Amino acid sequence: MRALGIISFEDNTAKIEGLGDYRPVPAIAFMGRYRVIDFILSNMTNSGIDNVQVYCKEKPRNLIEHLGSGSHYNINSKRGKLRVLYGEKSFSSEVYNHDVANYMLNMQYIEEDKNPYVVIAPSYFVYSIDFNEVMKQHVASKADVTVLYTAANNAKTAYLGADTIDIEKVTKTVQGFGKNRGNKKNANISLEAYVMSKKLFIDLVKKASEISSLYWFKDILADSVDELSMRGYQVKGYVACINSLSEYYRISMELKNYKKAQQLFRPGWPIYTQTNDSAPTLYSADASVSDSVVANGSEINGTVKGSIISRNVIICKGAEVKDSILLPGAYIGENAKLDHVVVDKYAIVHHVKKLVGTETEPIYVKRRDRI
Amino acid sequence: MRANNMVAMILAGGRGSRLKELTKKVAKPAVHFGGKYRIIDFPLSNCANSDIKTVGVLTQYESVLLNSYVARDHYWGLDTNNGGVFVLTPREKDEEDFEVYRGTADAITANIDFLDSMNPEYLLILSGDHIYKMNYAKMLAYHKESQADATIAVREVSLKEATRFGIMNTDNTDRIVEFEEKPAHPKSNLASMGIYIFTYKTLRKYLVADAKKADSHHDFGKDIIPAYLNDNRKLFAYRFKGYWKDVGTVDSLWEANMDLLDKNSELDLGDKTWKIYTEDVNALPQYIGDEAKIENCFVTQGSVIEGKVKNSIIGTSVIIGKGAVVEDSVLQPGAIIGEGATVIRCIVADDVEIAPGAVAGSRDSAEIELIASNFVE
Repeated sequence: MRALGIISFEDNTAKIEGLGDYRPVPAIAFMGRYRVIDFILSNMTNSGIDNVQVYCKEKPRNLIEHLGSGSHYNINSKRGKLRVLYGEKSFSSEVYNHDVANYMLNMQYIEEDKNPYVVIAPSYFVYSIDFNEVMKQHVASKADVTVLYTAANNAKTAYLGADTIDIEKVTKTVQGFGKNRGNKKNANISLEAYVMSKKLFIDLVKKASEISSLYWFKDILADSVDELSMRGYQVKGYVACINSLSEYYRISMELKNYKKAQQLFRPGWPIYTQTNDSAPTLYSADASVSDSVVANGSEINGTVKGSIISRNVIICKGAEVKDSILLPGAYIGENAKLDHVVVDKYAIVHHVKKLVGTETEPIYVKRRDRI
Repeated sequence: MRANNMVAMILAGGRGSRLKELTKKVAKPAVHFGGKYRIIDFPLSNCANSDIKTVGVLTQYESVLLNSYVARDHYWGLDTNNGGVFVLTPREKDEEDFEVYRGTADAITANIDFLDSMNPEYLLILSGDHIYKMNYAKMLAYHKESQADATIAVREVSLKEATRFGIMNTDNTDRIVEFEEKPAHPKSNLASMGIYIFTYKTLRKYLVADAKKADSHHDFGKDIIPAYLNDNRKLFAYRFKGYWKDVGTVDSLWEANMDLLDKNSELDLGDKTWKIYTEDVNALPQYIGDEAKIENCFVTQGSVIEGKVKNSIIGTSVIIGKGAVVEDSVLQPGAIIGEGATVIRCIVADDVEIAPGAVAGSRDSAEIELIASNFVE
């Protein structure tokens, strides 16, 4: 596919309490063995996009380590390239650190790319899409910009703060952008994913930086609704937006259902990730596991129900883990009871008898914490 | 200069016919083990962990899959600039008749040109069909220290077992004085593990001489080692303590798999200081259904379990339907157990389907049943 892939970063409305303090949203562990970014990046590489730029707002170490050379995402090591880009200067204020500023700082890498098109998408929207189909429609419609969206029916609780788009039903013309404030159940949610010519993309970025040093790319797009022809492309399969801890929890629990998961993990459309040669997971004679998703490298000696267990987790005898998410390397000591808890990486839950959260407010246990 | 001047050669050409249909289309070293591994991952990972840079893999029987598998040397981190995995199959040569490898020693002799180009000081000979974790660097240190011409790794077995192995009779310094293949009345309990370190220059002479002998089997155990002993060469036994298993039969393959269920087993695959590396498969994490029950099992990614599973090894992307019962079994990657089916004391081969409601194997069978084709009874 003749497009440069650009993985943009989420704006400041996305805030994953706790988990987000230690790493950018794309690097957050998800569904036992993945990171959030694996989905959009695999969509791009599966679509034949071999040149991908991943923009990182802050704390790039985690992401660079996870992405490596990109070879595990099936990027051709000679003809393709995966770059992690970030503003190699410090911003005087957080508000200046937005996508447009980062594109401007790395403009030479965008300009020197030979592809005539760009596919831009952030990683915190999780879905499965063949960009070839999007590109086909984009070219056929002769639109300047194609905007991906989902017709959500749970917008009162999900996608809060995300962009909505007004679409003309027949022509699919985008008439304007708004914000989802959770007032209506049904809304067309912009996935902040766009297809356009690279030239237009560069023009818009430069224009945005001239108009206001606070402009995000989505702001200049909203400004240009009348001048440019923009078409919507509806993503019909499973879509979710990981923009808060409660949504992270809800989406994880939803994908714990195998039938639901199959809508995201489609046959012939692998989701790639970094692997680390973990052994299979050992379920001991004392283990009792049901309704759960379990990654490799763990050791389960207790009871696990309705939970997501990541790599290299140890659950001791007598422990009960219910409706919880354990991130890689978590350790749950003997007889500890967890109910609606998100345990961050390498945290040790030992001398606590019981932690109980709720569906909308799961308890969060900090990274490397010891309780 | 090479960081470690020892080249490893893995003998991986045999069929392993006692594994029956498991090796009908793949060579024994490529047979799956422990849910996600292949047998040859063990010697290859041992090489990588022992800081060996160059590994030749000698293949012959049904080698298409094995060749392409081992050629991906990055699986084991062996893809360094000054090394790599070299696939060595029998080849046609100038002014020679095209021949298959006639024996273990012949397989090395046929690749003397390759070895000469690598110019190693020491040569490590390994089998591609054993399950164990071993630091060959320690064995090399022992070889150097004892100024041996050859060092043979041995492990202590019972005298009863000794009748099934090649036995090394040693003096009190562990210098080998005699080698007996499967002795009826063993004099020692030191069994050869089929792991040799040779000082290459010396071995080269013996290989060239052996190739010319019409009555030779061209085999390390039968010909080369006896020739060394005959010439009073210095051969030492290197005692290895730790897990080692020849998984040559259906029963022993099953047993070695079952050993993984013992957390205290020396074959601890969770040991992060000596990882066993393998292919990266792209599969979902394990999905455990709400009616599932899993007890004492070793389960790998991609599996979807909705039935009751006990004392078993569950391979990559295995599906176990609702109401199915799996006990004391090894399910190789891709196996599908239909709803309500029962599988007890079986090895279910790769991608084999057990029909819903079918009953395979039984609790009191003397031998482990191998289910190698789709099963509907």
